[in-house]
This record gives sequence, structure tokens and C-alpha cells, in this order.
Amino acid sequence: MKLIMGIVRRLKLVFMVGCLSLFISLQTAYGEDAWRADFDASCAQSNDAMSLSIPELKKLVERCDVLQKTIEKEDETVRKVFLKRLQLCKNLYIFVLESKAQEQKQK
Amino acid sequence: MRKLLFVVPILLVAVGIAWAQGGMKKKKPLPYEFGSVTINNYSQQAGMPPVMFDHWVHRQNYTCRLCHVDIGFGMTAGSTKIRSADNMKGYFCGTCHNGRMVHNNKKIFESCAKEYSREEYKTCAKCHTRERSAAKEDEFYRFSEQMPGERFGNKINWELAEEKGLIKPVDYLEKVSSKKVNLKVNQDFAIKAKVEGMPDIIFSHKKHTVWNGCELCHPDIFVGVKKGTSKYSMTEIFDSKYCGVCHEKVAFPQTDCQRCHTRPPQG
Repeated sequence: MKLIMGIVRRLKLVFMVGCLSLFISLQTAYGEDAWRADFDASCAQSNDAMSLSIPELKKLVERCDVLQKTIEKEDETVRKVFLKRLQLCKNLYIFVLESKAQEQKQK
Repeated sequence: MRKLLFVVPILLVAVGIAWAQGGMKKKKPLPYEFGSVTINNYSQQAGMPPVMFDHWVHRQNYTCRLCHVDIGFGMTAGSTKIRSADNMKGYFCGTCHNGRMVHNNKKIFESCAKEYSREEYKTCAKCHTRERSAAKEDEFYRFSEQMPGERFGNKINWELAEEKGLIKPVDYLEKVSSKKVNLKVNQDFAIKAKVEGMPDIIFSHKKHTVWNGCELCHPDIFVGVKKGTSKYSMTEIFDSKYCGVCHEKVAFPQTDCQRCHTRPPQG
């Protein structure tokens, strides 16, 4: 009887560890998907930057700042690729934003 | 004899200074060498020859933007600090060189592996090499024969090749690129030449955005969206700044004045 109880206890433990690791891996996968989707959505507007309004551009810059913090937690390779990519589109938004703000001032 | 002992060291010092300041004339690259970049951040430390990257091989199939924006390669040699581990994870060279991606019905060879056999080393040597292979040189000339000619650089007019549809550079990679709206191309504009009698420059946004998109040039290379915001001189361009970031190393060189200075001076 003790032997059976021991096996059941071990099986329970294995099951719990399995569930936990599945939960962690799913969370990692979906977590990455979430920031990647956000990244794509944020940087997708770079072709259209010149026609965006100042509030729209400001919102995009803010989104890039939030994303930057998330990407900084990723591994070295992901950081190397995506921080550079993010920097390129963020810089473009800031650059268009500043020139639009200046234009508005001059008016 | 005393005079000689005095003059020789002075001459040696003068030659040394001239050498250090880059006083020696640079060797003009041959057409198949033009746009070649040596990447050697970590290769030699790992016991491999450096990577010899040829732009002509890649730009016939892909836009500059795809690699320098979507894949994340820097614009200067060695600035990306690529490690073999990055490639093995499917980034940088490994984005396409993964042994799975197919191009022209051919699988693109895999870049980098932790372990490799003597036979597999032949694949490593496609990129990690000290010497140019005659086969690659041959491949270049066979390719360039089919392309519109040019006077300098690769002696290929890439702009015309793209315009005529002889090459169709890919600008989007599934799961790598972000889906974007079509680019609204800004109008061409003229830049007045500073030297009297020199034709003005007609800058074409259309020709540049086909290859580069917006963020590759703005604001890292050109800080202004308004004409005249970025002030630069030919000296700076020859010093690999502004237009010189691309035009000298990969895109047609600046010695081809007529490619940019196209409009006769106005009034």
C-alpha cells in the first residue's frame, strides 16, 4: 500500500512539474508573440510617418519606449536585432515629430 | 656620411607620417571586388578566417532596406558584431542562411554550426575565406554580362537593372519584416552645386526609396526632412558621410559625377 501511495505521490509531483513547465513555456511563447506583434504594429507606420499627426507620432514614440523596456529583458541576440530595429523606427518618428512641431511653430 | 645619417632618419619619419595620414593612393577595387566587406569581429578568435561578404551577390536579390533595417545589419563593417550563435539562432545571416529557406528553387545553405565535418567545412569556406575564388569571380562576370553597364564601381547600373525588371529585389520576408503600408514617395528635388559650372544635383527620392525605405537614411544619415536642413560638402561625402555612406563602398562611387550632377545650372 505504501509503495502505491509513493508512486501516486511521485506521479502527482511529475504531473505538477509538467504543468508548471508547460505554463512557463506557453507564457514565454505567447509573451514573445505579444511584444513582437506590438513591435510590428509600432514600426509598420514608418512608411507613413510623414502623413501622421503630432498626437499619433507621440503615441508611437511612447509605444516604442514601452517596447524598448520589454526587449531589453530578452536574450543578447534578440536585443541586438530588435533594439536596433526599434531605434531606427523610433528615431524616424521623433525626427518627423520634431520637424512637424517646428513647422507648426513657424506658422 | 654625417649628413647621410641625419637625412635618412628624417626621410623615414616623413614617409611614416605620410603613410599614417593615408597619403598613399588607395587601390581601386576591381568590379567584382567593389562592395566587398570583410567581417572579422570574432572569426579569427574562433580559429576561422574572416567573412568576406560580397554585396553584389545579395543586392541582386534583396533590397538594402531588408538587410539593414529588417534583419538589423549595421551600415559599417564590423559594427553589427555578429556571432555564430546569432546566426545559428536564425538571426543576421541565419535569417536566410538556415538550410531551409528556398531561393530560385535552391535551398540557401546553412550558416554556422557548433560542429562540422571536413566535408561540411566547405560550406563554412563559402563565407569564411581569405582569398577570392576564381569560380566566384567567374560567377560575377557571367551575372554582370546580363546587366546594364556602368563606368565605375561594379560596372553594373543597378538602378537601371531594377527599373527594367532584370532584377527584382525582395523587400519583405515573412516572419521577419513588419507589414507596412505602401510608401508615399516624396518629390525629387534639386541641390545647387557649389562649384561654378558644375551641373546641379537632382535628388530622386523614388530611386532611393525603392532600395532603402525611409528609416535607413532619416535621421541617421540625413538629419532633415526639409530640403537644405542637412548641410554637407563634397569633402564630407568623400569622407564616407552623408551620400558617401553608400556611394563609394556599395552604390556607384562619387567619381561618377554625372550620375548625380545632372541638371545644368539654373539662371
